[in-house]
Amino acid sequence: MKWLDSIIEGSTRSLARRSSRRGFLGGLGTLLVGAAALPLLPVARGAERAAAKPAGTAADPGDPATCEYWRHCAIDGFLCSCCGGTQTSCPPGTEMSAVTWIGTCHNPADGKDYVISYNDCCGKSQCGRCFCNRNEGDSPLYQPGQSNDYNWCSGNSSANIPYHCSTARIVGVAE
Amino acid sequence: MRRRLAGWVLLWAVVLPASAYTPRVNYQLQCMGCHHGNGAGEEGRVPNVRRTLVPFSGMADGRDFVMRVPGVAQAKLSDAEIAALLNWMARNLSDVPLPTDFVDYTPEEVGAVRHRPLPALKQQRESLLQAIGAP
Repeated sequence: MKWLDSIIEGSTRSLARRSSRRGFLGGLGTLLVGAAALPLLPVARGAERAAAKPAGTAADPGDPATCEYWRHCAIDGFLCSCCGGTQTSCPPGTEMSAVTWIGTCHNPADGKDYVISYNDCCGKSQCGRCFCNRNEGDSPLYQPGQSNDYNWCSGNSSANIPYHCSTARIVGVAE
Repeated sequence: MRRRLAGWVLLWAVVLPASAYTPRVNYQLQCMGCHHGNGAGEEGRVPNVRRTLVPFSGMADGRDFVMRVPGVAQAKLSDAEIAALLNWMARNLSDVPLPTDFVDYTPEEVGAVRHRPLPALKQQRESLLQAIGAP
């Protein structure tokens, strides 16, 4: 076992010659601060997420987090797909409006027009991301049933709760 | 002449798509946003048509009321489309079974009363509800 002793002794002595206690503490401090600062570096995580996301399906083409998505042809508001929800469901902490504004959009995949219900999600302040205002078939406010300028959250059971974002749900084929 | 023809073609292009829908889709586009897909509406806010449309349609002043309420009278539909829509609703969105002597709405009937405003809407509705014995 003498050879093991000499190896350990040799490496310990060489380590002691090359380093100091203060140097070790300094290095440890640098490591801790560096590890804490790493997430702050400007890395393009958003781009990575967008690239990983599938661009819809063959029957439902496009990215629901963009204004160009076919179902958004008559929308006016923030896209729930950008706010923690999807194009058919509300983000956590919000509730779907019971009354809503309804229009039709042309699906490029099958060439048919679909009836789309733009239910608002209510209960939190405005989402603020992905504002989209395309207004196809929108009517002035004096035709309330055909206007998307209304805050449809005011129709919910708890009156006047704040508007957060808008979904785009398919009701059926317009024929 | 050619310009006038182009105008007509444009008019057709704008008018036709709306008139091409079935009553079911017209209900979805014009009514469902507030009355919901089944016509049940919102308690205390949006009237429930499931218990009222068929009984109202059996009374002269009830039919008159149905064709003059703002949602019907001001819908972006022709008289014929309104008549077809109401007849479809009576058969598909009603808790009250259709009586055998049910009289279908006609485009002429709709056109005759639709554009007369309904000033005392709430009172009219209340008295109709009392007449059919609804709560």
